[in-house]
Amino acid sequence: MAENEPKILSFLCNWCSYGAADLAGVSRMEYPPNIRVIRIPCTGRMNPKFILAGLRQGADAVWVSG
Amino acid sequence: MITFKLNGKTVQGEEGQYILQVAEKYGVDIPTLCNHKALEPAGMCRVCTVEVFDGRRTRFVTSCNYPIWEGMEVNTETELVREGRKLIVELLLARCPEVPAIQKLAKKYGITEIRFHKEADTCILCGLCTRVCEKMGARAISLTGRGVDMKVDTPYHLNTDACFGCGACASLCPTGHITLEKINREFTTRTLQLIPSEYDMGLRGRKPIYVPYAQAVPNIPAIDRDVCMHFKAGGCQICKEFCGVNAIDHSMQDEFIELEVGAIVLAPGFKPYDPSRLDFYGYHRLPNVVTSMQYERILSASGPFGGHLVRPSDHKEPKKIAWFQCVGSRDQNRCKNSYCSSVCCMYAIKEAVISKEHAGKDLDCAIFFMDMRTPGKEFEKFYNDARDRHGVRFIRSRVHTVDPAPDGHSLAIRYVMENGETVSEIFDMIVLSIGLETPPEMIELAGRLGVELTPGNFCRTDAFHPVNTSKEGVFVCGAFQGPKDIPQSVIDASAAAAAAQELLAGARGTMARTKEVVPEINIAGERPRIGVFVCKCGTNIAGVVDVPAVRDYAAGLPYVEYAADNLYTCSQDTQETMTQIIREKNLNRVVVAACTPKTHEPLFQETLINAGLNKYLFEMTNIRNQDSWVHKNNPRLATDKAKDLVRMAVAKVALMEPLKEIELPVNHTTMVIGGGISGMAAAKSFALQGFETHLVEKSDRLGGQALNLYHTATGEGVQEKLCEMIKSVESDKKIHLHLNTTITAVEGFVGNFKTTLSSNGNQEVLEHGAVILATGAAPYVPDEYAYGKDPRILTSLELDKKFIANDPMICNLKSAIFIQCVGSREPQRPYCSRVCCTHSIENALELKKRNPDMNIYILYRDIRTYGEKEYLYKQAREKGVIFIRYSVDNKPRLEIRKEGLAVTVTDHVLGRPIEILTDLVTLATAVVPYKDEALANFFKVSMNDDGFFIEKHAKLGPSEFSTDGVYLCGMAHYPKPIDESIAQAKAAVSRAVTLLSKASIFSSGTIAQVDPTKCAGCGVCVAICPFSAPSIIDKGRFAGKAEINPVLCKGCGLCEASCRSGAIHLKGFDTDQIFSQIFELNAAM
Repeated sequence: MAENEPKILSFLCNWCSYGAADLAGVSRMEYPPNIRVIRIPCTGRMNPKFILAGLRQGADAVWVSG
Repeated sequence: MITFKLNGKTVQGEEGQYILQVAEKYGVDIPTLCNHKALEPAGMCRVCTVEVFDGRRTRFVTSCNYPIWEGMEVNTETELVREGRKLIVELLLARCPEVPAIQKLAKKYGITEIRFHKEADTCILCGLCTRVCEKMGARAISLTGRGVDMKVDTPYHLNTDACFGCGACASLCPTGHITLEKINREFTTRTLQLIPSEYDMGLRGRKPIYVPYAQAVPNIPAIDRDVCMHFKAGGCQICKEFCGVNAIDHSMQDEFIELEVGAIVLAPGFKPYDPSRLDFYGYHRLPNVVTSMQYERILSASGPFGGHLVRPSDHKEPKKIAWFQCVGSRDQNRCKNSYCSSVCCMYAIKEAVISKEHAGKDLDCAIFFMDMRTPGKEFEKFYNDARDRHGVRFIRSRVHTVDPAPDGHSLAIRYVMENGETVSEIFDMIVLSIGLETPPEMIELAGRLGVELTPGNFCRTDAFHPVNTSKEGVFVCGAFQGPKDIPQSVIDASAAAAAAQELLAGARGTMARTKEVVPEINIAGERPRIGVFVCKCGTNIAGVVDVPAVRDYAAGLPYVEYAADNLYTCSQDTQETMTQIIREKNLNRVVVAACTPKTHEPLFQETLINAGLNKYLFEMTNIRNQDSWVHKNNPRLATDKAKDLVRMAVAKVALMEPLKEIELPVNHTTMVIGGGISGMAAAKSFALQGFETHLVEKSDRLGGQALNLYHTATGEGVQEKLCEMIKSVESDKKIHLHLNTTITAVEGFVGNFKTTLSSNGNQEVLEHGAVILATGAAPYVPDEYAYGKDPRILTSLELDKKFIANDPMICNLKSAIFIQCVGSREPQRPYCSRVCCTHSIENALELKKRNPDMNIYILYRDIRTYGEKEYLYKQAREKGVIFIRYSVDNKPRLEIRKEGLAVTVTDHVLGRPIEILTDLVTLATAVVPYKDEALANFFKVSMNDDGFFIEKHAKLGPSEFSTDGVYLCGMAHYPKPIDESIAQAKAAVSRAVTLLSKASIFSSGTIAQVDPTKCAGCGVCVAICPFSAPSIIDKGRFAGKAEINPVLCKGCGLCEASCRSGAIHLKGFDTDQIFSQIFELNAAM
């Protein structure tokens, strides 16, 4: 990972965005490997504390998608 | 194992391996031009020369074909080796100075000038082509001539039929000397062509061994015997050598399997019309004229251009695209398909809108059409949006000729506008909206099965039995029954299943096998003992991610007792091994790092169950779809990512607990609300399948709107059939009729409803497991066209009643006018009522039948006789019914006069208002839903803007609601004719029976649970849950606290996220579990 690449923690909804991330793979798209995905059952599950904890752990950005 | 030294390092290889193979394994780069894994090495190019020391002397050998031996010392990069190699490359460059592969190698070795005589060859005589040709079994080409005259050629330099044109030589040629053109020109007597990919509609080629498309089930490659070189020439079998699991057996034969079945469902689908039969469109001749199916592939991300919208001839982005409707449909002159293909208008609009989304709003999309037919649910809205919001141009004109434009790529067309003006326009691309046809092999199969077909070669059915073929026990669904779209096909499919079940209800469950249940091991109090299984997925993962490194990394993580890698973790034998390992190592948690849990989690959970573990002691992490496949150019970081993902999964799984799935009995009594055609059909189907059914009707008689209908579109008398249907429902012992009855309260949930009925002041509570809403719709009562002011102005249903009653009034008429779209497709009711065009034409024909001299006019906006209903439209025109189109902003005007009704309409051909004096005006009024808010609330279902119920999924769940146990059919869903209503009634039953055929249902384990000791009883969860799962306990120790019904909970976690007191836990995605994953980011971040 290049020094200036942001490290991204993402929370993806199982029913849409997680499936979309799978589809990106099936379609052999490419994106930088500086992202870590946590699968959640629904973005309704998101707790603000998850975002804060992610940032405190060193993530430069937290992406919630659903 | 043979041990030797490679560049000073000790390495190992197998007996019989060559130096190059071992070097490759250890990542030592040796250049080569003539080597290929599928072929025996030949040492032709000499570029791979290395130095071998045998203890006494040093020799130069070609590494590709020099076998390894114990104790040898190999050096690949000594000064002498480099000098020698440089000379060889220089000589090759002198022979082939223009070949990029050689130039690249020369650059690598620092060759700037050539000291030898330059030639202009492109062949380096590596022999890859001749060796692969021999391997194929063709032996068409060989190295002929001697010395400087040596070259690749066929015998006697003649084109030969020994060359099959397989192209293997061209695909292996490192210099580009052999091309497909060269094969065509010099080698073969056959015509060489790409194998067109069926999936990509011939826009690109495919291999003889192929997976038809990415989502194919089973997703296993097949060999196309017609084009496979092994079956043509006897050789090749390279696939067999490369298959890691020995799955390929070329000697397999077709098997004949005989099955004994009680019913057959025909679902063979359709074949897209082939427009090359219509030469004036230039399809095949002009590359930028494509079919709509090809265009779908062009738009698709997995398509030939990766989802980038470009035209085929020069891969340029088009600026103007035209769609031509009705290609191979509604045409009896140039093809025999006089029916309407039903789906093309809608898909053309969809393609145009998607194109604009892809390419931006500056893209000009024009749809050339005859009638715009969008009679489906929410379709008219889509059409209006396409025109008004997206700016798609709709041009009512049929284009007859396409010529190439002067630039050689674009296409010139001329068409006549509605005002008679001729317009010439140039488009970058033309999409032919091709129709649907029954494939010839299906026509033949229908003949063998004894199934009758319609004039359009679709399966003949009748309106009251929409999925029954003419042969008993054989049912039909989908486009073979008539051209139709996905929702209708899905409805038909469920209906055909229900029809077969009605026949076979007695045999239900008789062939079911019971599974052996492995007792669950109690792991309470045990420390986590985690097993990690890292999948290679062949080379899908291992080709990018260093799987052994991930495995070794996993083995060192906390609580991990066992870590392994597998070639294919999902294979049957690996599953068995996993079960064994879980038992042997006493594992109590499992992590699989492989593909996506969305497809494979259930499979591995099954393995856990077989090993005696609770299936929730499992976590899957995705190192394929979300790692190796998307980071293929970054193996190191992909490996790091895989390690992180495994670490996060291990942390989470350590906190997983065994979860219980709650079992709930299913009440097998059913309820159908609405006693019209749909409701009765549903009740009857339930009864035939053995389920006690309560049929609830608010009026005093069965029949609904059908009581007013005279004929179906296929000419069957409705009243007679309806009578039979009512009698059969009334006499059925399993159907309990509740007339004059309304619903006043509903309690409970899927499998266990309690519904309160109210009839003449009496209340009755019924328990049932499922419910179908078949509440229908009503005719619109118009307030225009002087309706109600003159007995000669009727609605369509009123005219039907006069037909039924044989009213003498209609026999003495001299002329009649039908006005379409009364109350439909207008701002206050924007949807199309679907049934009215057919209904009016049918009634016009009936009037013509009774009095052929009568003058009949139909004033319309678009005639929407979809499918084979188009024949009625054609017949009406043949019989002299006059169709006059009007536009919504210039509607016909009606004046009541003594001598008759004067209707003024602007004629679309003359462009002038004309006045018609008539004896009868029939208004084709809209179908209006009841908008029963109370009922919708009782069953927690919703309605769209128009007031029709919203189904679970427009395409895939058209006959059920998002609320489990509640199903939908008939006009409460959307206006539809009798055949479609009955099909949907059966479909709703079919969906309900998937629930009712079970003795009990299990809730999911991953649901929310309230800790009552922490709950403050604030009620936020109750208010927020979209599924009504939480409620406040009203009595007992925890009165005032919330509880969550495990059956209703879908595990979304909305309640947990909003619980202020932290009393709610979402099992499987609990806060501590998600935090554990976040905390493990540490190493990664």
